Amino acid sequence: MSALASGSTAMGQATAAGPSYTAPTTVDDVIAAMATGSRVVAGGTDLVVGSRQGRWPVPEHLVAIHRVNSLRGIRPVVDGGLWLGATATHGEIAEDATIRERYTALADASSIVGSRATRNVGTLGGNIANASPAAETSGPLMCFGATCMLESRNGRRELPLDELFSGPGRTVAAMDELLVSVSLPAQPAGTGSCYARLEYRRQMEIAVVGATAVVTLDGGQITAARVAITSLAPTVRRVPEAEAALIGSTGDRAAAERAGEAAAAASLPIDDVRAAADYRRAMAAVITRRVVQAAVDRARGETVSIPASASLHGAL
Amino acid sequence: MTMTTEPRTAPVVRLDGREKVTGVGRYAADMTLTGLLHGRFRFADIGHARIKRIDTTRAKALPGVVAVITEADVPDVQYGLFIKDRRLFAKGVVRWEGEVVAAVAALTPEIAKRAVELIEIDYEPLPVITDIEAALAPGAPLIHENWESYWQDEKLVRSGNEASRSTIVKGDTAAALASADLVVKGRYVAAGSQAAPIEPRAILAEWRSDRVQIWSSTQVPFAARSLVSETLGLPENKIRVTVPHLGGGFGAKCEGHFEPQVAALARAARRPVKVVFSRRDEFLAPDHRREGMIVEVESGVMRDGTIVARRAQVLTENGAYSADEPLITILAAIFSTGPYNVPNVDITGRCAYTNTQPSGSVRAPGAPQAAWALEQHMDEIAKALDMDPVDLRRKNLLRNGDLSPTSQVMSEIRAVETLDKAAELIGWGQPLPDDEGIGIACAWWPSFPMATSAFVKINVDGSPTIITGAQECGTGAVMTLPILAGEILGIDPSEFSLVYQDTESGPWDGGAGGSQTLFNNGRAVADAAMDVRRQLLKLAADELEAAEDDIELADGRARVKGSPDRFVTIAALADKTQGTQLLVGKGSGEVPPTPASDTSACTGRLGAESFAAPTFGTHAVRVKVDRDTGVVRVLKVVAAHDSGYIVNKVGAAGQVTGGVVMGLGQALTEGTQISGEGRVRNAHLLDYKLQTMADVPDISVWFTDTAVSDAGPKGSKGVGEPPCIPTPGAVANAIAAATGARVRELPATPGRIWSALREGQA
Amino acid sequence: MKYSATLRVNGFSYPVTIEPQRTLLSVLRDDLELTGSKEGCDDSECGACMVLLDGEPVNSCSYLALQTLGREITTVEGLSTNGDLSPLQKAFLEAGGVQCGFCTPGMLISATALLARNPRPDDEEIKASLSGNLCRCTGYTPILAAVRSAVEMTAG
Repeated sequence: MSALASGSTAMGQATAAGPSYTAPTTVDDVIAAMATGSRVVAGGTDLVVGSRQGRWPVPEHLVAIHRVNSLRGIRPVVDGGLWLGATATHGEIAEDATIRERYTALADASSIVGSRATRNVGTLGGNIANASPAAETSGPLMCFGATCMLESRNGRRELPLDELFSGPGRTVAAMDELLVSVSLPAQPAGTGSCYARLEYRRQMEIAVVGATAVVTLDGGQITAARVAITSLAPTVRRVPEAEAALIGSTGDRAAAERAGEAAAAASLPIDDVRAAADYRRAMAAVITRRVVQAAVDRARGETVSIPASASLHGAL
Repeated sequence: MTMTTEPRTAPVVRLDGREKVTGVGRYAADMTLTGLLHGRFRFADIGHARIKRIDTTRAKALPGVVAVITEADVPDVQYGLFIKDRRLFAKGVVRWEGEVVAAVAALTPEIAKRAVELIEIDYEPLPVITDIEAALAPGAPLIHENWESYWQDEKLVRSGNEASRSTIVKGDTAAALASADLVVKGRYVAAGSQAAPIEPRAILAEWRSDRVQIWSSTQVPFAARSLVSETLGLPENKIRVTVPHLGGGFGAKCEGHFEPQVAALARAARRPVKVVFSRRDEFLAPDHRREGMIVEVESGVMRDGTIVARRAQVLTENGAYSADEPLITILAAIFSTGPYNVPNVDITGRCAYTNTQPSGSVRAPGAPQAAWALEQHMDEIAKALDMDPVDLRRKNLLRNGDLSPTSQVMSEIRAVETLDKAAELIGWGQPLPDDEGIGIACAWWPSFPMATSAFVKINVDGSPTIITGAQECGTGAVMTLPILAGEILGIDPSEFSLVYQDTESGPWDGGAGGSQTLFNNGRAVADAAMDVRRQLLKLAADELEAAEDDIELADGRARVKGSPDRFVTIAALADKTQGTQLLVGKGSGEVPPTPASDTSACTGRLGAESFAAPTFGTHAVRVKVDRDTGVVRVLKVVAAHDSGYIVNKVGAAGQVTGGVVMGLGQALTEGTQISGEGRVRNAHLLDYKLQTMADVPDISVWFTDTAVSDAGPKGSKGVGEPPCIPTPGAVANAIAAATGARVRELPATPGRIWSALREGQA
Repeated sequence: MKYSATLRVNGFSYPVTIEPQRTLLSVLRDDLELTGSKEGCDDSECGACMVLLDGEPVNSCSYLALQTLGREITTVEGLSTNGDLSPLQKAFLEAGGVQCGFCTPGMLISATALLARNPRPDDEEIKASLSGNLCRCTGYTPILAAVRSAVEMTAG
C-alpha cells in the first residue's frame, strides 16, 4: 500500500537529515509522523513496486502501519454494516464470511488482486489510497456506499468513497491525512452483487475492463441498483444511467444489456498497451451485462462462485 | 500430463537438482568478489539519432564512481556474424533504444545508476523505421548509411536496408500454379516476441594481470570468449568464461553478449565489476528477440488435395544490427512450405533492418511464426477444397523418399505417425460444444551435427568424472550425459561428477543452442567412455586372467561374463593404476553426415541446405472461445513427436511441455509492442504476459521413440526446440474452428479475435 | 540514517544495519548473502523472490526489510532440515519439476505454504496457488505433478 496519494501538497515537510523509519503501534503516532512529512507504507505492493519500476523513489521518510492494531480487522457494526480497517488485506477480505455473503462483489475483487503473495500483504487502504483507475476494490466499495475515515492532527473527517478520487493516482486527501478505515452500510435484504474484470489469463491479471453491480430485488423486481466501471475512465466511477436502466426491471438479460450499453456509453476508454479503446468500450457493455446478471442471480440466492471473473467468461 | 509411452529406464535425478532445490546453487547474479564494483550501462534511450556529443565529466565526478567508458575507450572493432555492422559501444549513431552508449563502474549499484543518468548525450534525431515493409520500400531512409563499407559474409546478398535476400527454387512454380485446380493465397503478420528467461542476465569480469576471468549467464561460453577475443584483441587463452548455474536462455543468451563491455569496464576500473540486468534491461537490450515476420504464401492445389506448387515471400525483422537473422530468414523460408511434399517451390526470404531491438535465435528460430502462417494457410486450403484438415495434411506430409524444398531425400522419418497419433489422442472429429474447436498443426526441424569432444576419467577411488565443454541451460541435456557414460561403464549415473560450462576446463563446444547438446556431446561422451572402458577391460583381463571379450562392466565392477563371482571392482582397478597409468578416456565420435541436397537454383544461401536427422511433430489443441470477449482458454494439448530414440524420458517430456506452453504464450498473450518512435511499450511482465500455471491445460506427450541412423546417440534427435514450433498454428486453427473467424495476426489477442468475429458478422 | 535491527531468518537471528528503503530481498541477498531467493522482475510478477513471512508467501522484492522485525522469515535455504530434503523438494527432483532452477525457490515457497494450509489441495487449487510464480522451462506440467506427488507422500 502506498502513502495516501494527494493532489494538494506535492512535497512533505522538511524533517531531520537522512532517511527515517518508524513503525508505531498507535494511530496518533502514525499521524504525528505524517505531520512531519513521513509517508505511509503498509504492504509495499504499490509503493515499493512503483519504485522498482522507476515511477517514484521509495519515500525518504517512512511510517509503517502494519503494527497498528486499531487499523486491522473486519468487524460487523451495530446497525448491520461492516467496518474494515485500512490494513485489512485482500486475503482477509476474500476469505471473510460476512463479505462473501453480504458484500460478495468485494470478495470477488480482493480475491483476484495479484498473486496470493500480493494478497497476503496488500491492503484495502493501499488499494484505495493509490487511487488507480484499475483498482479492483474501488468499484464494489463505491457501489456498496462505502465511506472512508481520514484522520490527521486536525481531526477526523468521513467522506463517501466516490468523493475521494480526484484523478488517476490522485485523491482529495491531504498529505498528512491517514486513511483509517472504510465503512460499508448494511445492504437491504434481497441484495446481490458482483465484480468481474476481463481476464486475458486466468490469474495474475490487471483490470483492462472491470465492472461492478449491486442490485436489490423485491418481489422479483429490481428496486435499487448500483453500477460502477473500472479502467474505463480516469477514476473508477458509478454509472447512473446503467442503474436507471435496471430499476423497475426484473433483472433479465434485456435489462442487463441496457445497463451494459449505458456503461459503454459512459466510459472514456483509452488506447494503450493493454487494449484498444473501441475494444474496451465494447467490453464495458459485455462485462457490465455479465456482472448485472450474476448480481441478480446472487440476489435470487443462486450460487455464482467467488471470484466471479473465472466463471463469467463464457462460463469457462 | 499423460505419458503414453512408458519410460524404459528409471528416471534419473539431475545432478544439479539438489543445489537448485536447496537454494545453494549459484547463478551469476549471486556471485560476489573481493573489491567488486557494480556496473551499469547507459542505453541509447532513443530510437534513432546521431550522437552530437557525449560528456561523461559529471558522471566521473560523482563520488564512488571508479570508471566511465565509451567507444573511445575500446578498440574500434566492428563485429557481427554475417555483417560486421556494430560496435561494443555506439559510435556516431544510435539505431535502437537499447543500444549501449556507455558503461559505468561504481562502488554501489545505486551510485552506478545515478552516474549513468549524469552522462550527457546530445542527439540529433533521425527518422525512425519500425515497420518491415516501410524499411524495404524504395527510398526508405537508410538505417546504416555506410552499409556498403561493412565486411560481410561473401555468400550474403544484401542492399541498403535489406540485410539479406535469399531464395529457394525447385521446379517450375509459375507453370504449376497456372495448371492447378485452385490457388489459395494468404498473408500473415507475426509480432516479435521475447525469450524471457526468468533469470535476467548477469556478467562479472575480473582481470588477473593480462588475463580476464569472466562469469556470465551465457548459453555459449566459447562464443562469448571468441567475441571478447575479437573485440578486445586478446588471444582466447587469456580469456576464461565460466558459467555458474544458468537460469534459462531459450536463445536470448546465445552469441557473445556484453561480456566484452564488462571486461573493458573492469580493466578501466582496475577492479572486478558485476553487471546485473533488470527485467526491463532484459526486455530491451539483448540482440536476441524472436523476429517479427510477414508471410505471404500462395499454393496451387488439385481437387484431390495434392499440393502442386507453393510460392511465398517471407519478410523478417532484422532490427538495428545483424546477428544471426539472415540465416534465420533462410530457415523461415523453408518452414513457410512446411513439412510437405511440394514439387514446385519458389520462396524469397528478405530480412529488413529496422530501428528496433536486433532479432536473433530464440528457440527454433524462425520456425514458430512461419509454421503458424503456413499451418493456417493449410487449413484455409482445406476449407477451400471442403476437405478435412487432417486428411489434407496426411495426403501431403513428407514421407520416406520424398524431396524437401532443397531436394533432400527423406529417409527414416515418421511425420505421418505423429499426425495420426495427435489426431487420435485429441479426439479429432468428435462432436464439440459450439464454443469449442480443435486445431492441428505439423512442423519439422533439423538436428545440428557439429564437432565436440569430451573426457571421461576414473579417479583413484574409482569414482567417475565427465569433463565436457557443454553448457547446461536448464534443459537437462548435460545432466543426461551420465546416463550414456554409465551404461558403457556399468556405473550408476548418480555416481558421476560433471565438469562443464567452463572454457578453461572442457573442450570447445557449440553451447546450449540448436538442440545440439545431447546430440553431439552425448556422442563425444560415449566415445570417451568407450576409450576408458577399453582401458578398464585391459586391466581387468590381467587381473581376472580372462580375455577382454569375456569381461563385462556392471554395478561398478568388471566381471567375467557368466561368472559373476569372478570380479574386480573399478575402484580396485583405479587404485592399481596409481603411479603407472591414468584412467582417462577422450572422445569426439564421428559427426553424423548431413544429407545431400540440390540448391543449384537457389540464391543467397548461408547454410541450412539440408536437415540432418530431421525431427517431425504434430500438435493438436482444443480451445474454448468466449465469443463476446475473444478470450481463449486452452483445454487440451496433444504433442506427438518423432525425435528418434528418447534417451531421458522425463527430460524429453519436460522439453515438450515447456515448448508447448511457450507456444501457447506466443499464440495468445506474448508479443512485443513497439511505438512509432521505436520504443517498446511492454517491457515488463505484467504487460508481456507469459502463461501462468493456471493457464496450462492437460498436455499429452507422445514420442515415436524409435532409433534412426545418421543421428545422435542411440539414434536420437534434438528435442529442445521443436515443441514450441507447431503450437501457435494449432491454436490459431482451433480458434478458427471454434468461431469461424480467422486471426491472421500473432498473437491472437482477445481484441484481435473480437475484431475478427465482428468482421465475420459484417 | 541507517537502522540496526535483527532479522529472524530460517530460525537464526541476523543483526543488520540498513536504510529503511531497503527491500527484504536486497537485505537477504546482499547483507545476509542468502542468495537462494532470486530477482526475476521489477513488478512483482514472477515470484522468484518469494519467501515465507510467518508462514505466508510474500514477494520479498516489494516488501521492506524493516517491516519484518519480530516476524519469522523462511527462505528456500530454510526448507530442508539437517540436510534432509522436504517432501516437496524431493518431489520436484523426481518429477522433473526443476530445469534451470531459477523459479524453483519461489515455486517451493508457494507450494510449501499451500500444503501447510491445505494438505490435500486439488489441481485447481495447486494451479491457482502457484500462478504467482512464473516458469519458462517446464510448462508447469511437471511442477504440478511434483506437488501432487508431495501430497501423496505427506497426506498419505
